[in-house]
Amino acid sequence: MNGMKCIICCTMASSSMEVDNVLSEQKVLPPKPKFEPLKPHEMPGAAVQFRKVSVPPHRYTPLKKVWMDIYTPVFEQMKIDIRMNLKGRKVELKTRHDTPDISNLQKCADFVHAFMLGFDVIDAIAILRLDELYVESFEIKDVKTLRGDHLSRAIGRLSGKGGKTKFTIENASKTRIVIADTKIHILGSFANIKIARDSLCYLIMGSPAGKVYSKLRAVTSRMAERF
Amino acid sequence: MANTNDAGVEALRRLQQIDPPSLLAPNPSVSETARSASQYLFTTLRPFSPKSPLDELLVDGYDAEQIWHQIDLQSQPLLSTLRRRLNQFVKNPEEIAQFKVPLDVGKKLEKKKRVELEEEESDDFDEELDDDDDDFEGVEKKKAKGGSEGEDDFEEEDDEDEEGSEDEDDEEDEKEKVKGGGIEDKFLKIDELTEYLEKEEDNYEKGEERDEADEDSEEDDELEKAGEFEMDDEDDDDDDEEDEEAEDMGNVRYEDFFGGKNEKGSKRKDQLLEVSGDEDDMESTKQKRTASTYEKQREKIQSKIVLMEKANIEPKTWTMQGEVTASKRPINSAFEVDLDFEHNVRPTPVITEEVTASIEEMIQKKIVEGLFNDVQRAPKLPSKAPREVKQLDDNKSGQGLADLYEQEYVQKTDPTSAPLSFKDELKNEASTLFKKICLKLDALSHFNFAPKPVIEDMSFQTNVPALAMEEIAPVAVSDAAMLAPEEVFDGKGDVKEEAELTQAERKRRRANKKRKFKAEAVNKLEKKARLEKKADNAISCQVDG
Repeated sequence: MNGMKCIICCTMASSSMEVDNVLSEQKVLPPKPKFEPLKPHEMPGAAVQFRKVSVPPHRYTPLKKVWMDIYTPVFEQMKIDIRMNLKGRKVELKTRHDTPDISNLQKCADFVHAFMLGFDVIDAIAILRLDELYVESFEIKDVKTLRGDHLSRAIGRLSGKGGKTKFTIENASKTRIVIADTKIHILGSFANIKIARDSLCYLIMGSPAGKVYSKLRAVTSRMAERF
Repeated sequence: MANTNDAGVEALRRLQQIDPPSLLAPNPSVSETARSASQYLFTTLRPFSPKSPLDELLVDGYDAEQIWHQIDLQSQPLLSTLRRRLNQFVKNPEEIAQFKVPLDVGKKLEKKKRVELEEEESDDFDEELDDDDDDFEGVEKKKAKGGSEGEDDFEEEDDEDEEGSEDEDDEEDEKEKVKGGGIEDKFLKIDELTEYLEKEEDNYEKGEERDEADEDSEEDDELEKAGEFEMDDEDDDDDDEEDEEAEDMGNVRYEDFFGGKNEKGSKRKDQLLEVSGDEDDMESTKQKRTASTYEKQREKIQSKIVLMEKANIEPKTWTMQGEVTASKRPINSAFEVDLDFEHNVRPTPVITEEVTASIEEMIQKKIVEGLFNDVQRAPKLPSKAPREVKQLDDNKSGQGLADLYEQEYVQKTDPTSAPLSFKDELKNEASTLFKKICLKLDALSHFNFAPKPVIEDMSFQTNVPALAMEEIAPVAVSDAAMLAPEEVFDGKGDVKEEAELTQAERKRRRANKKRKFKAEAVNKLEKKARLEKKADNAISCQVDG
């Protein structure tokens, strides 16, 4: 009963308020408030956010070599705290109080992850600088089931002699490719990833390199024409 | 003469006795015998062949061929005479009876008669053109003179033909004597004419019955009749007409037709008279004897017409018919005819030595000149600007991905700042290489053809007398300065020295100077202040941060 009464009262009040509001709207409204984006530590939830990126064993030594190249941009420009947990073999990232944007943390995490996949620092750095760069990973068996020698041959086909097929695809599509045994990772913008992926799939399925080159040429020239 | 006659007879007898096989081998005695025999025969027959040029057969030193020719000369006319006589006798068998048996007595009587007849002949009738008769007369006269001995001899060895010919002659003379009349002569005998006319009429009727419309047959008939007539003529003709026989047409002489040159005119007249009388039947004779030019022409044309009409009626030769297939013409007839048809292909050239030589000569000349007509590719017209083909670089890219995207972004925003593409780099490399080469080449020609390069050099020039700079020991002192006047001083306006200035100007100058100085001082102070401020700020920030 009370609840119902309250409701009625509320409705009545609202109607009255509406009337009042209508009246008041005819007067000058206060200016629209501008809110700056929330800093990570101001956001509701935990003030400080973490990311943890595990280090595969084969990337341990390279990480040690290029640690400073990773650390400096993350810390200085992204304003994210970064540290290496040696016992857990993880790289840990943490926001600071002056981290401007929450996406920085994610970017740094992606950057470190990209390095862990096998990309070079100079290539991975692009993730920090550009927004729209992604890493796509797939396996050879996703494209075509190959076993034993065929698989080996497919991998060989993908790389080419001295890696020149891979480099050709990289240069043509403005991406970076990492072929890790049966896993393939492509770093680049969305459209470029697609180009690279298609080329690699053709190679996996058995096209000779020349054919793939010609297709690449056609596609890239078309892309270049557009701009 | 008797001895020779005896010898001749003896020779003949001997020849008769020889058996034929011995004749195969040449035997001089036999040949001698034969010669004497033939000589004897020749002389025996000589009186009866008045035309022969030889009086006796020449056998000494002559070979068989020549002797035979001599015999032939005598015997040919003789034979013809005899034949004619025989034919005459065949026609008129009763005449044979008139001839006496060849006895000595009979002969003498005959001789006498002959002489009488001859005399008569010469008076009454035109002599035959035949030389035989004249000669005969001569012979007969000779005979008369000669005496009986010769005659006896003659008779003994005379052939029947000889007798026959004599008989015939007798008959002839008698005949001529009997039948009189101015119209008749050698050619024309009224009896013969009537007989012939009857015969021709019968033939003509027969011809008419056969085919009146058919000219050819009529003509043929006529021709046949003419032929017949000719034949009959020959047969019925007087014996004097020796040469009118079909076989001996080649021996026809003018005298045969027209007698001697004296009697020609009268003969002609007689003939014409006869002709005017009977045209139809005499037509053929006319044609034969005296066809006028018009007649001759007409005859020719008629024959031509006949031929042409015949040709027109007959089916034409296969070459004249239109389209002829192989079945419609005789086998292999196309070979004989010179056919003309278009050849679609050029005839293959006959390769002779000359041809090959000429070709080789041409080849050699071309090699020497170097004039090979090489086919040059036609230049492809540029349809549009060649598209820049994107080169795929298969080397590891030097730039990082970030730089790559940065470049791309810059290109998008600022199109002018296009980075050097791979191609441009290559171009640059090429151009530098080329410059190096050019430099070296110019050096080879001592830079004669290259322009001098401008080297901008910085050096200090002091305002020292020029001469002093150039020479160590100056000949004369000069006050020419190295620097140009404007280099010494470049000022604008009316420049006055201190001494020249007026008071007001001096004051003005000082005032300007002071103002400038003051402005500069203020600027300095401001700069200082700013710097200090910055420093303070920095410090403060550091302290804070």
